[in-house]
Amino acid sequence: MRGMGDIIQYILNIVLSPQFFGPIIFPGLVTVLVILLSIIWVERKIAARIQMRVGPLYVLKPLGGAIQMLADGLRFFFQEFIIPESVDKLPFLLAPIVALGFSILPIVFIPVAPGFIPFDSPYSMPAFLGLTAVIPLTIIAMAWGSNNKFAIQGGVREAYMTIAYESVLFISALSMAILYGTLDFKEMVAKQAIPGIVLNPFSAIVFFIAMIMSSGKLPFDIVEGEQEIVAGPFTEYSGIAFGLAMGIGYIQLYGFTLAFTTMYLSGWEPLLEQLYNIFPALGGITLFIKAYLLMVFIVFLRSVYGRYRLDHALRIGWKKLFPLAIFSVFFSLILRVIGVV
Amino acid sequence: MLSRRNSKVSVKEHLDAIATGLKFLVKPNRMTVYYPEEVIDLSERYRGMIKYDWNKCISCGLCAMICPADAMKMYRKKGEKKARPGINYQRCIFCGFCVDICPTNALSFTKVHDIAYEKLEEMIIPPEKFTEDWVSPAEKEGAKKLKVEFDEERGLRHVPK
Repeated sequence: MRGMGDIIQYILNIVLSPQFFGPIIFPGLVTVLVILLSIIWVERKIAARIQMRVGPLYVLKPLGGAIQMLADGLRFFFQEFIIPESVDKLPFLLAPIVALGFSILPIVFIPVAPGFIPFDSPYSMPAFLGLTAVIPLTIIAMAWGSNNKFAIQGGVREAYMTIAYESVLFISALSMAILYGTLDFKEMVAKQAIPGIVLNPFSAIVFFIAMIMSSGKLPFDIVEGEQEIVAGPFTEYSGIAFGLAMGIGYIQLYGFTLAFTTMYLSGWEPLLEQLYNIFPALGGITLFIKAYLLMVFIVFLRSVYGRYRLDHALRIGWKKLFPLAIFSVFFSLILRVIGVV
Repeated sequence: MLSRRNSKVSVKEHLDAIATGLKFLVKPNRMTVYYPEEVIDLSERYRGMIKYDWNKCISCGLCAMICPADAMKMYRKKGEKKARPGINYQRCIFCGFCVDICPTNALSFTKVHDIAYEKLEEMIIPPEKFTEDWVSPAEKEGAKKLKVEFDEERGLRHVPK
């Protein structure tokens, strides 16, 4: 007969295995929730400081309103979720949930620390990018299902934007794959004695801008377009589904910043040896801090820039970023021929 | 369409914009005050809630006639000759015509502006209630009064009074 200790050990082994700990706790679901609660508050506080005001304050005043987003989330949670009669119910209800799933799912391909990878695959980079490419489809499904003129306008904008940024994103990421000679995130990190952003800055800039476009943050929040088309594809949503729809962009941004850190900012390096020896996932703190600072910088851009118009964004995508992405591929080839990496 | 500009200039402008943002992030220049704890002391001629003096009023009705928003109305009780003004704050636009035109200065402005009502009906003030003095809820709870001063660098500065 087994003792109590064995059972606890058994459960602990499951919880601490990369396959469970990665998607559920770090860098997965629980971390995503913490990120959502904190980054929106950070965004609002930064915008307030730059715009000479105070920002959220009265929810937990000693910490400057730090749990404001918790209060907002509770409010979304208890608000009535209205399903209008004219909507196409299946895509309307399914799309936000699928979008949430596909925004969290790519994170499993990110190597947290050496030997601690939730889903270890030699093709983790194209798999990551492929999964993120599903989200625009769900947003278009939301727009279609809503049966609303503002929503369909937002959906069409999303379709336009997708073809502008997706190819650029893929090409700039593939240029790094050519440079390192691998499609695997963990081998990329291993080869970054010099960070990728120094080796191929063109690719980094293109990926950075394309990832802001993809996650729909300012200056490219064209799909939501609050000033013209209410909330774009999310116009008909209310309650918790609206909260989900608004959170998708941030979760997507988190996934992309993790990928950016892995590809260009040398991932988990420098590894914190003591923490890594206690538990491998703790070595991923370096990765997390880099990704979080990058997110803070991106949400800071909100208060600097105005929104680009759709045609301007498309022009940047096709006329500036696309040639630059192609150039970054050649630049990688040259570096590879010289033998830098 | 944006004018076609040199892309070197455009990169510099982007960097300038980000630098300006960072400057304000590191060195914030807050223009607002923490309202319920601090209030800005308003000028003497501030057009806030209107106060009515029962004894000075001669019931001429000019205030009700001049009111552009139809907020002032004369109330007359049964058996009384004199009608007296009451105000409806659902309509009032705080233009100050009634205060200006009053021949005996029975109407006057106060500095109170932060009254909140729970019901729409409470916003209609009959003559009897119109004479009551207004009290700012923030000041009643002991808010710190701030004075606005001009400043060479910031433009405006709030100092404790």
